[in-house]
Amino acid sequence: MKKIILVLLFLGTLSLQAQNIVRYDLYVRDTIVNFRGKEKRAIAVNGQIPMPTLTFTEGDIAEIYVHNELDEETSMHWHGLFLPNKEDGVPYLTQMPIPPHTVHKYTFPIIQHGTHWYHSHFGLQEQLGMYGSMILNKRPDDRTFRKEIDDLPTIPIVLSEWTDIKPENVHRMLHNASDWFAIKKGTTQSYAEAIKTGHLKTKLHNEWKRMNAMDVSDVYYDNFLINGKSENEDTSFKDLKAGDRVRLRISNGGASSYFWLTYAGGKITVVANDGNDVEPVEVDRMLIAVSETYDVVVTIPADNTAFEFLATPEDRTKSASIYLGDGIKQLTSPLPKLKYFEGMEMMNGMMKMNGDLDQMGMNMSMQQMDMNVVMYPEITGEAAKGKDKKMEMETEKLPAHNMDQMDGMDGMKMDGDMYKSNELSDITTLNYAMLKSPTVTTLPEDAPVKELHFTLTGNMNRYVWSLDNKVISESDKILIKKGEKVRITMYNNSMMRHPMHLHGHDFRLLNGQGEYSPLKNVVDIMPMETDVIEFEANVEGDWFFHCHILYHMMSGMGRVFSYENQEPNPLIPNPALALRKLKGDDRDFHWMAENDFATNGNDGEAMAQSTRWSFGTEWRLGYNDMHGYETETHIGRYIGKMQWLMPFVGFDWRYRKLAHNEVEENLFGQKNTKDKRSVLSVGLNYTLPMLVMAQAEIFSDGNVRLQLERNDIPLTSRLRMNLMWNTDKEYMGGLRYIITRNMGITTHYDSDMGFGVGASLNY
Amino acid sequence: MFNILIVLSVVLSVTSGHAQIKNPQTETVKIFGNCDMCKTAIENAGNNKNTANVNWYKDTQMAEITYDSQKTNRDEILKRIALAGYDNDQFLAPDNAYAQLPECCKYERLNKAPAMVMDHTKMDPPAGRTGMEMPEAKMEMDMPSSENHTDMAMPEMMEPNALDAVFDNYFAINEALIKSNATTATAKAAELLNAIKTLKIESLKTEEQTAVTKVLPSIIESAKSISVTKDIAKQRERFKVLSKNMHEIITFYSSDETLYYQYCPMQDANWLSKDKAIKNPYYGSQMLSCGSTVETIGNKN
Repeated sequence: MKKIILVLLFLGTLSLQAQNIVRYDLYVRDTIVNFRGKEKRAIAVNGQIPMPTLTFTEGDIAEIYVHNELDEETSMHWHGLFLPNKEDGVPYLTQMPIPPHTVHKYTFPIIQHGTHWYHSHFGLQEQLGMYGSMILNKRPDDRTFRKEIDDLPTIPIVLSEWTDIKPENVHRMLHNASDWFAIKKGTTQSYAEAIKTGHLKTKLHNEWKRMNAMDVSDVYYDNFLINGKSENEDTSFKDLKAGDRVRLRISNGGASSYFWLTYAGGKITVVANDGNDVEPVEVDRMLIAVSETYDVVVTIPADNTAFEFLATPEDRTKSASIYLGDGIKQLTSPLPKLKYFEGMEMMNGMMKMNGDLDQMGMNMSMQQMDMNVVMYPEITGEAAKGKDKKMEMETEKLPAHNMDQMDGMDGMKMDGDMYKSNELSDITTLNYAMLKSPTVTTLPEDAPVKELHFTLTGNMNRYVWSLDNKVISESDKILIKKGEKVRITMYNNSMMRHPMHLHGHDFRLLNGQGEYSPLKNVVDIMPMETDVIEFEANVEGDWFFHCHILYHMMSGMGRVFSYENQEPNPLIPNPALALRKLKGDDRDFHWMAENDFATNGNDGEAMAQSTRWSFGTEWRLGYNDMHGYETETHIGRYIGKMQWLMPFVGFDWRYRKLAHNEVEENLFGQKNTKDKRSVLSVGLNYTLPMLVMAQAEIFSDGNVRLQLERNDIPLTSRLRMNLMWNTDKEYMGGLRYIITRNMGITTHYDSDMGFGVGASLNY
Repeated sequence: MFNILIVLSVVLSVTSGHAQIKNPQTETVKIFGNCDMCKTAIENAGNNKNTANVNWYKDTQMAEITYDSQKTNRDEILKRIALAGYDNDQFLAPDNAYAQLPECCKYERLNKAPAMVMDHTKMDPPAGRTGMEMPEAKMEMDMPSSENHTDMAMPEMMEPNALDAVFDNYFAINEALIKSNATTATAKAAELLNAIKTLKIESLKTEEQTAVTKVLPSIIESAKSISVTKDIAKQRERFKVLSKNMHEIITFYSSDETLYYQYCPMQDANWLSKDKAIKNPYYGSQMLSCGSTVETIGNKN
């Protein structure tokens, strides 16, 4: 009897293996987390953040049931996987979002191997904890199976970050150019700091070119996480001894953070990238872009010691650690603080007056030249202080005439060698040119080629991110044909780096390795870099191609590739509605409002702005009739890539009681009682160098007004100055000290209302 | 009962003298260190206003750590201390944090397990020094201990050239200027002065003596002026003179490496380098690779 049962069991397992169906149930629920002493909402799946690691073997069939127990919609994307389009999980593009309290089944055959991950593609849910590892193992009989690599003990690692501020609010603050994150990060680069460190000229030059402070990240995060924790003791392999090797399968599930990876036990050997094997390459450190995956092998060099594997965000504000091995914890050095003013100086050099970047003939590509090295003390030395700045400044003017003086091969290697991190120091940093596929990756030679060119464009001041200065809602789907080779050339003309991700396909990154060009699905493009990728169009569907920085994507930085004459997607019953919803993301208006409650009156404004439009109203309300009450409302449209120009129509209303029918006269001799005035206007805003806002406005009563205004001059890290003057002989000067994200104390002098002090609230 | 607890905790917090720390918890832990300088460094690294207070005792090498158990924990504090260079029960300091400790603070690293010998480094660490050995030392910055190591190894390998120390320190200054590190340049210039003082002129050949005596005063002067300032612009100015004089005596220095005499046209100045690739000491990161090699001085060994 027992034997029969055993045989039955055996048969049972056999038949299971034959079917190869691997089922996971994911229960998506609201949860409360407490990272910084305050309880905050997050989203957990099966009660955990990150989401559980899903493991499959090539050849399996995946069945994943997503139980949406949230009160909002959701949708799950399987990042880097080849699958039918309707399983791809992009809401309104490949499926309608999963309604609250329903179950959605994803199913697809696993036809590849490697380290991948999955995350919510709905709204900003990814930031709240919806990311997890997805490990696709090779079959043991795979001919690409690599001994000493594929059979090592493996630890899946998901990197991420946490902020106590709601993601929607983060997104809104970014669009309103809030400098709260800069204050928290210590990256205000105020005039006081500039003077103290001898960089006043740099700062002035920077503002002259209409730039705000230099930064390498958009958002300040409270915590950085490895598998959900800042300090992580690995418990999976407690018996590691000296000489043992471990494979880390690392996915960057951060919404907007790049991470430096360093290891206390020595070199890091990179063995795979974006789920595709690469020839092993040894480095001291590497930067993993948002949404990339890397497989690395590290060695435990000593017994009874746990070695720190450190993930440091690019802005180096904090870090996360995992300790590999058992025993006392051997730390690795934290990365030193960035030299922001050096970075600002570098940026000044690159930025042309019209807002384009100037490559200076350097042909940058593949992360080999990293302009940011000027900010890394570990590569270019500690920040120089004080007077020698002057000498360094002078060098800016020199290259031109020196080029001629120099001759021959040993001469001036101005073009970019000064940014090649690996030539400047003993530290070897991974770059894309070092990645080489172990197998030939060429695409069919006879396939027709479709060439596409994109310029990555953006505007930090207004937080508009786009391709060719068009956001998703302003562009059509790009039609491609099955069987084509699609070759995409991208040039980054914006000031931030962008990890561009293609759904459903791997592309070849043409990095100089010829036939052995590595396969990837994310390519990080640094400012001024040009990268070329190509892929074979082999799966029908609508595939998203976008910047994987969550807030850039939600601002509209992406495109959709759509196959010609494809079958309609059964999960999109109403394509028109779905398309409208898809485009809705970057059409959102972002609100801001502030009011200064001062002793001499109330000053304030409220604004709602989208990618191109601005609705704003300002008010100045006195406490009595002599001071007066006035509001100005402007509806404008931003023009051009840099959005410096904004024509607008407006409406003005003011009431004031002047003594003895006093009449005011403006600089042009036009008279105005201001006692009671209600007029329409048209005008222009233009951002001048030094970030001065010039405004010309003509009113329906024939009056003309010119105005110059500069707000938020960063005097110190928290002190801001506002200045205003106009041809109505009105002027204003004020100071604001920022106390919290929503509050400040102010003092100002106003030609109408006189001197006042107060408190300002802002949203 | 509650009252007793409150009284007790009040008494405790008063006696321990950190009334400002709420929810206090006190632990005693081992932290390695040698001297009063270590005490200051350890306590500064560990202390955190209103949340952590560290008292380290030199004699026992034990520390009393009091912290707000709602806001922080023992490991957070010990990690900060280890990052400052001090091994403890939980954490080992990063190797270069330890290397950067002042000489008097270099305690014996008893907690550190010996590193496994890697395939590519055949050398066994000398017995007895294992505690000090660094596995896979990452040469991120100037690492005095690794220099010590070469100094130690040198005498066994060959007869030291009298000028070795002089040139070694010259290259160290050069390196510091490349990295725009005025502090290191200052320190290395001081060491160069020392090297010159201990230089036994009589051990040189006669022709060498004449040449060296000729430029020595000028070398001393420029080394001195580099060592007394932290202004990197002045240091670089002085380095021009120093480089020129060092080039005068380069023929008497038998380096085991090929050396390069390099030229910066913008400063109209030269320098000596062990590196064929240009790393311009006169500009730091600004124009690092600007310049050209004007002379290659062959390896004489």
